[in-house]
Amino acid sequence: MTAAPSHASQADVSEIDAVARWPLVLLLASALVWLLITGTLALVQYVQLLFPGFLAECPALSYGRVDMLLQSTLVYGWIANAGFAVGLWILSRLAGAPLRSLNWAVAGWFFWNLTVSIGLICVLFGEGTSVPWMHFPRFLYPAMVVAFGAISVPGVLAWTGRTQRPVFAAQGYAVAALFLFVWLFSAAQVMLFWAPARGVVQAVIGEWFVQGAWSLWVAPLALAAAYYLVPKITGRVLSGYNFASLGFWTLVVVGPWTGGRHLAGGPVPAWIPSVAIVAAVLLAFHYIVVALNLHGAFSRGSTALKFVAYGVAAYLLGGFVDAATALRDIAQATQLTWFTQAQGQLALLGAFSMTIFGAIYFLVPRLTNKPWPSTPLIRAHFAAAFIGTTGIVLAFAVAGFVQGHDLANASVSFADIAAHTHVWIEIAAASQAVLLVGNALLALHFASLLVIRPAATAASLLRPAPAMEASAI
Amino acid sequence: MRNGFLFFIGLFAALTLSWAGVALWPNWQLGLLKPFYDQNDEKAYPQRTPGIAAEGRMVYDDLGCAACHTQQVRRPDLGSDKARGWGDRQSVARDYIYDTHVELGAIRVGPDLANLGARKPAYDRDDLYKLLYAGVGAMPSYKFLFEQRVISSNRQPADDAITLYGPLAPPPGTEIVPTHRARRLVEYLLSLSQSYEYPEATPVEPAAQGKEGEKK
Amino acid sequence: MSDEPLDPRVEQPGASDDSLVSAHEETLHHKSGGDAHYKMLPLVLLFVFSGLIFFGGTYLNRFAGHYHPEIFNEYAQPTNAAAAPVKVDPVVLGKKSFEQVCITCHQATGLGVPGVYPPLAGSEWVLGTPDRVIRIVLYGLKGPVTVKGNTFGAAAMPVIGKVTGSGYNWSDERIAAVLTYVRQEWGNKASPITPEQVAAIHEKEGDRKEWSAEELEKIQ
Repeated sequence: MTAAPSHASQADVSEIDAVARWPLVLLLASALVWLLITGTLALVQYVQLLFPGFLAECPALSYGRVDMLLQSTLVYGWIANAGFAVGLWILSRLAGAPLRSLNWAVAGWFFWNLTVSIGLICVLFGEGTSVPWMHFPRFLYPAMVVAFGAISVPGVLAWTGRTQRPVFAAQGYAVAALFLFVWLFSAAQVMLFWAPARGVVQAVIGEWFVQGAWSLWVAPLALAAAYYLVPKITGRVLSGYNFASLGFWTLVVVGPWTGGRHLAGGPVPAWIPSVAIVAAVLLAFHYIVVALNLHGAFSRGSTALKFVAYGVAAYLLGGFVDAATALRDIAQATQLTWFTQAQGQLALLGAFSMTIFGAIYFLVPRLTNKPWPSTPLIRAHFAAAFIGTTGIVLAFAVAGFVQGHDLANASVSFADIAAHTHVWIEIAAASQAVLLVGNALLALHFASLLVIRPAATAASLLRPAPAMEASAI
Repeated sequence: MRNGFLFFIGLFAALTLSWAGVALWPNWQLGLLKPFYDQNDEKAYPQRTPGIAAEGRMVYDDLGCAACHTQQVRRPDLGSDKARGWGDRQSVARDYIYDTHVELGAIRVGPDLANLGARKPAYDRDDLYKLLYAGVGAMPSYKFLFEQRVISSNRQPADDAITLYGPLAPPPGTEIVPTHRARRLVEYLLSLSQSYEYPEATPVEPAAQGKEGEKK
Repeated sequence: MSDEPLDPRVEQPGASDDSLVSAHEETLHHKSGGDAHYKMLPLVLLFVFSGLIFFGGTYLNRFAGHYHPEIFNEYAQPTNAAAAPVKVDPVVLGKKSFEQVCITCHQATGLGVPGVYPPLAGSEWVLGTPDRVIRIVLYGLKGPVTVKGNTFGAAAMPVIGKVTGSGYNWSDERIAAVLTYVRQEWGNKASPITPEQVAAIHEKEGDRKEWSAEELEKIQ
């Protein structure tokens, strides 16, 4: 029944990886540096919650500024660089051809990280703003858009120049992420900074941007990695793949509409959060499709797949929790509390970061043609990331419930609320410390991989990749 | 996802759809919101923040106060906002039309500040300076917004030096004076008031027939 | 799948990239021609999706506030504030107006300043016939006036109504409100004054300069 010729088993390291090696290594190295910076800042922030006097004398590192720095390094440092690296690699592999125009990517990488660094310095010295995920002074944003576009060029070219006509879901997701963010970011910066909308419309647009950045950029990159790694590692076709396209379009079309749910009860007309709540519930369809497709992640054996499994589980849980907490009755208890922090961390640290860690462990040996030097370091990182991320999310979720319960009672003072949530913030801080140690191990491991000359190349250690059978569903 | 061009068109259309629905449509509805002219007071509300308070908003913005404080009051039957004295009515869109950056906030680690200038009993400058200098509970101290000056013999003590007691009091012969950033921040905080009763802020309940408002 | 522990330092591939793409493409085209049983999954998904759309539609129907920019409460109906004239409690409006302007001279206690500004509490002018006190507020009062046995003459009562030379230009409703307020505050007990009464006097007298106490005393 197959019209396509059966593919002979192929070597899994080829010229595709060799060509992409140094640009992607640059992206990954900078991503890991940003990961450590953001982890440290998060730890500082949690310590400041526990001990308000910590670094309070230092204007550059007061709580509000640390918050801004932390969001920016997480999103535009770690997520951007790691997402690019994984996205470009997957696109080149699935295209079956080496990446072209990588000079654009390297130039883009340089200017992206330069502008982000300048932005952070500006925030440190008081030139930042409080707009969520857009804390930098506005003159940097056009440069960021251009840099992003430059890095995307090889990715888009890899897709248009693919050797096989059919498109796999992972390619669709990765190209969508690279293509859409530029427009999203441009529209948001124009309506917030260059020709600012009036009053609360800014808040609505801000929510649209943050939600769009998640639904159209970060989540698709994580999904691209997951959709690629699950069949690649298990060797089995994804079940339910017939609906993968439906799931994709549901995310892209419905996803950005859900931002307004955070404004329920707020100073915006009721229809804005209502439409967002409906969209959040509709989006459950996307999560169902993803669950149908990616449940293979929970197969045993591979360590990289364990990371991906955690990421997929976090993604699905996050989606259903988002839909549930969007409903106004539940939102009343959880909005404006630490619970929203838990949701954010579940998405960014759980769904995205863990999946990308899995992708990193999978792709780096192929990219650099060197195996990872140490198994214990990988297992230690998994344990630390698992414990750390789970601890942070659960601790903030409980803190949020406690805080929400206390806020609803007018006789509870804020000092009391701080006392009640203190132990949960301590757990979150401890978990963040564990996570930071784990990520430091990853960074160390990556550095040693680059430096050490291995006994055997990865290519020699890899079995030839068998041909995948289309399963008879 | 087959046809490349169609794919990109589809993506762009999806983004444009959400932009039109979530960004453009609210902007069309609310973007030209005008102040409400009260015939009886012969004033338009909201009133613009005076210049020094507007500068204070910039200080609030770059210090990231919105990381812990919200500026959006919920309506009385949704939570304890009114009971806590944060405001008698919910914040509406018209309250924010003159804000360069809307500081709605996302988490209430500290109290809501939307009506800080209209609280009863009212805060005065000295209270706020002391609060900023010393911090309270989970709120850190912002001593870098103040300077410690020696009271020299040929100068009077400053008018706005804050009076502190106990371990926080400065050594004798010196005084704690707010810097210009602290002054502006406090003016901004004292200007925060959403007390005007717009017609849309107290809507008709489905059962009741009485209408409230300030027109005519 | 083999049972040997996999070395995490190099993850083995389960399939080649080319075959991965083509195998998935094949499953998309795979018809259920061979086996003749219904695939339940698409049907289930269709039902789920329809259910979600139904929920969404119902939710929006109830809680979208008619997509109106002035409905902030999802349970509320649109107000027709412009359609019906809104009734305002005159005492509340009057108190507000008093506190904006009159309080400077007549003071919050209504006792004025001895020798300078006459009191309003227990004042025979305030409690007496509306015709006089309305004229005082509308057009102002100039010259000496005796209130509760004391003479006041230094400061003139400014022109409050919509009259040439007025710095205030209050509407008739506002004047009626402030007079209603004053006539029931500080122990005063006198009838409220309606905007119609003020309008009638305004129309009768037209545009004129301040009254003097003697002119007012001629009015009963």
